[in-house]
Amino acid sequence: MPFSTYLDGIREDCRALVDELGRYFGYVSILGTDVRSAAYSADRRMTGARDSEGECGFVIKMHSGRSFYEYSCDDVTGDKKALAEKIVNAVRTDPELDGRRIKTSVIKDEPMKKDFVRETDFSDYTDEYLLKVCKEISDKLCEKDEKVLNGICAIQTHTVSKLFITKNRELSQHYGWANGVKYVIYNDGKMAHARKSEGAGTLAEIIEKLYNGLDGVIDLAKHLAKAQPIKPGVYDVITDSSITGLIAHEAFGHGVEMDQFVKDRAMAKYCVGQYVASPITNMHDGASATLSVASYFFDDDGVLAHDTQIIKDGVLVAGLSDLGSATQLGTEPTGNGRRDNYRRKAYSRMTNTFFSKGTDKLEDMIASVKHGYMLFETNNGMEDPKNWQIQCTAEYGIEIVDGKLTENYVSPVVMSGSVPELLKSISMISDGFEVHGSGFCGKGYKEWVRVSDGGPNLKARVKLG
Amino acid sequence: MKKLKDILDNYSGIDGYRVTEKTVLSYELFFVHRDLETVRSTDTTSTEVTVYVNHGEFEGESAFHVFKSMTEDDIKAKIKSAAARASLVNNKPYELPGKGELTAELPTNLDGYEPKTLGRMIADAVYDADDTEGGSINALEIFIYRDTTRVVNSRGVDKKQTVNRVMIEAIPTFTDEKQSVELYEDYRFTVFDKEKITAEIREKMKEVADRYRAEKPGKELLINVVLRPFETAALCGQLSYDCNYRSIYSHANLHKEGDDLQTGDGDKINLTMRGVIEGSENSAFFDADGAPLSDKQIIKDGVVCGSYGPVRFGQYLGIKEPSGNLGCIELGAGTLEDEEIEKEPYIECVSMSGIQIDLYNDYIGGEIRLAYLHENGKTTPVTGISMSAKLSNVLSTLRLSKKTDVVRNYKGPVKLLMKGVSVL
Repeated sequence: MPFSTYLDGIREDCRALVDELGRYFGYVSILGTDVRSAAYSADRRMTGARDSEGECGFVIKMHSGRSFYEYSCDDVTGDKKALAEKIVNAVRTDPELDGRRIKTSVIKDEPMKKDFVRETDFSDYTDEYLLKVCKEISDKLCEKDEKVLNGICAIQTHTVSKLFITKNRELSQHYGWANGVKYVIYNDGKMAHARKSEGAGTLAEIIEKLYNGLDGVIDLAKHLAKAQPIKPGVYDVITDSSITGLIAHEAFGHGVEMDQFVKDRAMAKYCVGQYVASPITNMHDGASATLSVASYFFDDDGVLAHDTQIIKDGVLVAGLSDLGSATQLGTEPTGNGRRDNYRRKAYSRMTNTFFSKGTDKLEDMIASVKHGYMLFETNNGMEDPKNWQIQCTAEYGIEIVDGKLTENYVSPVVMSGSVPELLKSISMISDGFEVHGSGFCGKGYKEWVRVSDGGPNLKARVKLG
Repeated sequence: MKKLKDILDNYSGIDGYRVTEKTVLSYELFFVHRDLETVRSTDTTSTEVTVYVNHGEFEGESAFHVFKSMTEDDIKAKIKSAAARASLVNNKPYELPGKGELTAELPTNLDGYEPKTLGRMIADAVYDADDTEGGSINALEIFIYRDTTRVVNSRGVDKKQTVNRVMIEAIPTFTDEKQSVELYEDYRFTVFDKEKITAEIREKMKEVADRYRAEKPGKELLINVVLRPFETAALCGQLSYDCNYRSIYSHANLHKEGDDLQTGDGDKINLTMRGVIEGSENSAFFDADGAPLSDKQIIKDGVVCGSYGPVRFGQYLGIKEPSGNLGCIELGAGTLEDEEIEKEPYIECVSMSGIQIDLYNDYIGGEIRLAYLHENGKTTPVTGISMSAKLSNVLSTLRLSKKTDVVRNYKGPVKLLMKGVSVL
């Protein structure tokens, strides 16, 4: 599927509206979005094939030299003068607020005209074929063990077209991402859910990954049906790459979103240039830092994608900013301005966030643990960037005794505690590396965007409960 | 809608359809400290069409979005494509909700104000509470919404409901030369009451000052823990999800009708799913199918006694009169008075990172950002702790307060007492 023909055909309307609104505001941008999604699923009793989340609309951003203004709508065709007046009226404030405006630097509107494309293979696959894949995998999961109550398989494709226009800038981008999941509901006297999520740039990769490891999901379900709660305590842990990513994301990623710096909501603001983690630790974020679900060419403010090194050898070196926060802080935006959709505001958001790989071998790391746990599979997490506390929940852990993984599974496992203590406790980092592109991230309890995270295995000491 | 309905009514390759149209008008203010950073306004409509195709013993359905950008030919092409997809989908047939017309609006006073005036009044109400020494509100986001949802289907449903609502996200902070701490406040309402907003934020300002003074307890504790409505609602949400027709049909439910969740001598759980709870923005007069909603008790005296959910899955399960997918939860009041709680030491949770409840692994727990430790007649703010307990033990012995409140989609006790919880 090529770049949205609708957005391509509406460039002139966008340019005309930018010009018209330019009579009122020093800076005007329009972001047009046309996002299409398709979802296929099968389980023991049902199948599904439908369009999933999608959007097609516009958000117009304006800057007066003080505050920002935004207006979201479905259409920018028609009388531009009338639309501009409607927009100006819609964002008016009560006169009593006139004296209470932020101060910002001038927004740079550097000239650039470019169209970016990353091809997908989505059009190579028919609806019929993708449903057949889901049904086959669901059937295979159900047939593997009589204790499987339900075997579920789902595939989703996500195709993004975005157009960004200002007085001096005209950018377009078109790319896609695919996700898949296989999932088992299992009952062996105790109910258990086991899943394996996948993300990739092509459906070919997703389909291959879904067919692989069916026995692994069943085996995991069997173990989880026997899993016990963990005895609360402080333990040595080895993380799988998913939990490494969860730590990167929750423990530190949110804390360096620079809109939090503006609001004095992040401890990290005061720690740039200081050791915040073990000296063997390096961390990156960026839409161009690796290829995953959050790999775009420009952000929702029209800023080109970056690869930002956040932690270098244990020292905090940089944060992540959107246009608004960078303008207030007097820094350059890092391409992290992201919106849930065109109806929502852009904030500083993570993209692909990960720890860099180290030099240790995973087997040596496990062998170094007298008693602890290896933790697997992100469930959820919650940030607290001001007070630098974390809560990260792993789906399960496997007990390590005398340097060896045992058959003792614990679930769920909630990691919590102080971020600096956790990061400074990192003592070994493996030479493996994997980024998981199937996640979503909220800011507080809203503003959901697709993110990836990951990295190598880490050895750290944390509180588990 | 009329044009879309005409196209669907005259399209021969489908056996039924449902159209859901949601229009959102919003006015939003974003403050950094006390200064206005961003003003936003939205006027958007999203439309989703689901078409149904009968083939052999099966019924298939498939959905697509209709965007303002689409021409009539685009829409016809989407219908054709969705019908083709639906013919690949092999599901058990079910009957869409039948004829019914309704236009309803939740009671509110929000529509009596111009949005920009209301926005300023809400901001004033919040900042009026910002009068504590060392305290500040570092960020404030105000969202004023008017949501109108209309559901139309091929069997004569045409229903519309409008909800006026406000969401405030405020960040109360306490700072001195040594450190700075914050709490997160998410406050929602459908009726503007300046004094109530100021009181709510003032309470948070007091709590954040307490978080500043809070310390980690010196030892591990096995202690009673009191939850507030937000966390109790999460627990009720998990219990109710287990009783949803959809969970039951997909074998994802842990409990079944007749199961006793409470073997101990605690207050008995009485959980009822409701369409409308006064003061809740989640109240609705019909569900996503346009089906009417009938309140349904799902747990009576601790025993699972019923289920609820969408018409489709109700029909699949052979339920004669499905309830519709009810969105509000009412937990019956208990017998607990404050004097009784005080008889033993306890921790009162004020702010958690996010309570973790896992029915399958019989677990309840999470990180506590701020709590009050009540012990020997003294109240001490505590932080940096995590709690965990066996969920079945908690359910069997929990106590529920007599006093109730409405928080989001929950109406019920303001305090839930859990006994013998491990706190580290």
